[in-house]
Amino acid sequence: MKKFLRPYLAFLLMGSLLTTTGCGGDDDPKPAPDNEEITTVTLTLEPESKGQLVAASSKDLDGVGGNAPVKTPLTLKPNTTYLATLTLLNENVNPPVEVHKEVKSEANDHQVFYTPSAGSLMTVTVTDKDAQNRPLGLAATIVTGAAGTGKLKVVLKHQKGTKAAAPGDATKGETDVEVEFDVMVQQ
Amino acid sequence: MLLTKISQKLLLLPLFLTVLPVVAQTMLPYEGTSGAVQDCGLTISGKVIDHDTRAPLPGATIYIPQLDRAAIADAYGNYHFHHVCQGNYTLKVSFIGYTTEAYSYKIATSSVRDLQLHADAAMLRSVEVVSTRILSESQATEVLGGRELEQTRGLSLGKSLEKLPGVSSFQTGPNVAKPVIHGMSGSRIVILNNGVRHEAQQWGDEHAPEIDALAATELKVVKGAAGVRYGSDAIGGTILVNPSPMPDSAGMSGHIGLQGNTNGRMGTIAGLLQGKLQNQPISWRLHSSVKKAGDSHTPEYNLKNTGFEEQSLATTLAYNKGRFGTEGYYSYFHTKIGLLTSAHIGNKTDLENAIARGRPEETGSFSYTIARPYQDVRHQLAKFKTTYTTDDLGKLLFTYAFQKNTREEFDKDVPRDNPAKPDLHLDLLTHTTEMVWEHTLPSAITGSIGFTTLWQDNTYGEGERMFVPFYRNLTTGAFAEEKWRKDNLQLETGLRYDYKTMDVKTFDSKGALQKPRYTFHNLSGSAGALLDAGYHFTFGANVSYASRAPHVSELFADGVHHGTASYEKGDPTLQSEEAVNTTATINYHSNPRFNGGLSVYYNTINNYIYLQPDSVPLQSNKGTYLSYYYRQADAHFYGADLNMSYAFTDKLSLDTKASIVRAYNVEEDQYLPNIPADRLNAELQYELGNLGNANFEDSFISVGGLMVAQQDRSDETTDPFMDAPHGYFLVQAEAGTTLYFGNQPVEISVSGNNLLNKVYRDYQNRLRFFATETARMLLIRINLPLYFKTQS
Repeated sequence: MKKFLRPYLAFLLMGSLLTTTGCGGDDDPKPAPDNEEITTVTLTLEPESKGQLVAASSKDLDGVGGNAPVKTPLTLKPNTTYLATLTLLNENVNPPVEVHKEVKSEANDHQVFYTPSAGSLMTVTVTDKDAQNRPLGLAATIVTGAAGTGKLKVVLKHQKGTKAAAPGDATKGETDVEVEFDVMVQQ
Repeated sequence: MLLTKISQKLLLLPLFLTVLPVVAQTMLPYEGTSGAVQDCGLTISGKVIDHDTRAPLPGATIYIPQLDRAAIADAYGNYHFHHVCQGNYTLKVSFIGYTTEAYSYKIATSSVRDLQLHADAAMLRSVEVVSTRILSESQATEVLGGRELEQTRGLSLGKSLEKLPGVSSFQTGPNVAKPVIHGMSGSRIVILNNGVRHEAQQWGDEHAPEIDALAATELKVVKGAAGVRYGSDAIGGTILVNPSPMPDSAGMSGHIGLQGNTNGRMGTIAGLLQGKLQNQPISWRLHSSVKKAGDSHTPEYNLKNTGFEEQSLATTLAYNKGRFGTEGYYSYFHTKIGLLTSAHIGNKTDLENAIARGRPEETGSFSYTIARPYQDVRHQLAKFKTTYTTDDLGKLLFTYAFQKNTREEFDKDVPRDNPAKPDLHLDLLTHTTEMVWEHTLPSAITGSIGFTTLWQDNTYGEGERMFVPFYRNLTTGAFAEEKWRKDNLQLETGLRYDYKTMDVKTFDSKGALQKPRYTFHNLSGSAGALLDAGYHFTFGANVSYASRAPHVSELFADGVHHGTASYEKGDPTLQSEEAVNTTATINYHSNPRFNGGLSVYYNTINNYIYLQPDSVPLQSNKGTYLSYYYRQADAHFYGADLNMSYAFTDKLSLDTKASIVRAYNVEEDQYLPNIPADRLNAELQYELGNLGNANFEDSFISVGGLMVAQQDRSDETTDPFMDAPHGYFLVQAEAGTTLYFGNQPVEISVSGNNLLNKVYRDYQNRLRFFATETARMLLIRINLPLYFKTQS
């Protein structure tokens, strides 16, 4: 039995030695800064003639999952022309990242699509272009119709290598932003 | 000079045979026959097989004293004696590791006699052999080896295993295949690579096992809960990837293999060199392979960015003297796999657009370039094993292994802050030790008792995405399994206990660091019986129990799954799954014409962990995503696997395999998603022998078909975006031969899949939303066995 136990103990010793030396440091993870998130989508509308700036926003600090975005609606005057600008921010980092500037610098790979729930609510015309004269959509003119309520869907597509000629193709690419704002057109 | 003397040839053959996967039928006239070979025209032939596993025993020697003639079983265990007269003959069969047996037959016509050998327990080489022998008896076991394995060379491990009934694979595009056993995969399956538990990021659907299938000479699958020997989490089954045993006679040998695939223009080169020193009890082996493939294509379009590359290296050094044996092993595996460009999508609308489009948005033209999105994975394994044989009691084995798995994933879009940085980087370090005492007790009991440890540390790169959190896991286990055998009955039983602690470091929703500690006690047990009922019937029955602790990804998953527009959320309160698996098998074997096997199983899993879709979709600035939450419910898995073969003549045979599986969520009262559809595979094989030319041997041709049904057990809950695709039928064919240039054999074979260029989608492919399956492919193989003259 002695003969039998000797190698056993030797093996066991060896095993425990190797296991314990294998244990490395005991570091804690650091929270990952999320550089890619778009936390805040803001559509700012400036009446062409005199009037108040109007803005609608959707704020979602925790991204997909967690809480739903907090949204503010658009309240517009009927039969009015507005100059619209879309701003995209990542407010999870300090200072916030102005994502719309990056979109602008990669204009050939991006396009913003505006879809009102009814044509009578408003018409949207994109005014900015990429290098190949295709619409980009960070700037637009919005002309409201008669008084009423509805929705405006704003979609930013990443269309690297697949961006179509004007007026563009919303079914292509990967969605970076898809937000639907409540719209009230009233006097 | 090498083979001038027949006796020398005889000595070299066993070595030759272990090295060559496909070797000639060999008939050896015994020296000094004095012209006594009578030309009476009868043939005695058959297979030499292991009585327990039914595995063929290539290299076994058959000697007929009455004729003074000997033959050696070929790579499939087949032997032949031609030109035999009528009369009574004794066939003495011997093989290393087995008890020599003598069978007496009265031969009146040409006869097929399968010869069974019993393992000599005291001489078994390694723990793998012993344990799988036990499992393979009352539990359903499948083995892929010999020519069948050769026909899968060039395919990944997951695709190779699809040859076995009851085994399928879950795919992400053409190059990522995860094995599925009886409907279960991932962390419910334990893979033993060269005897070591493969520890990687198995939880991910798109994470294929980081194992070079070309280094294996045998793939063995134990179906059903097999927790006792390898760890309680093996509730779905165990896969053993085994290299051939180390060479045991002096000399050097090896082989060089080349493979090419027309779909993807893949090229592979693999080489093995091994030997044993002349005057030292030292043997060694070196294996390496390199693969490179470009974009695959479907019958209609190119699959952009589906190329891959793979490099692997494995070295072994073994020392065996007297009772003491030791072996060191190291392997390195690296792969870079491109993922279909257009399968990387955002929200639900993107997925709906992709399905409506019916084909990938970008197809491009053939290229070897691997661009984003891609995976880059490295796996290293170092193993040290020592054995000590104790005279009467058996054998003591100690194994220590270290594994390092590094997985990097690069998304489609380049990160803004650092373009070279992966979006995901996971490092998993694993140390395992195992101490096993294999014993043979008087009163026909054999078994093993063991103690195992597993220590694991998982981390991710600083500032990178957390998919699974930091964790440390220590599992200690103890097991015992015993087998009692008398006459034609074998009873077996086993028990295991695992104690697992897991320290997790994760962030809560407010970003504060949390350090929860988990403790799990997991029991496994099994009991089985095997009855050799005579008349070529064997019956087996087995009941096994296993409990699997939840994986850290099931506890803490929190993120978007690209490609399915879904968000997955773990549940930190999950309990262990508990499975009771009942299997019954019938085997009808060793018959000249019809042979077959049927196994049926019923697997009850309490607290089965699965993803339950939530009826309310998630809203975000990126649009709508479906949400899935990890839940537990009682589930039932049941089904059957069937294999049949019928030999019309000595040369023409039909092989049929079928499998069905059903998986039902008892609490939600519905079928589980992603379960393989019913499959039927049939193959007609014709042996052409030497084609009437002495330079050819072992030629064959086969034609077959694979039929996969539609998965009918699917609805809006299991598959919310797209109905399960239609069933399909594929035609496949194979041909091969061994060509001799002097004494140098060259093995050549061609396999064709999807020969009719069928356009189809497979339910078990995650990319079925984006693209159809790959088109016709021809896989061409050339294998050059090498053997070198020993110094005299």
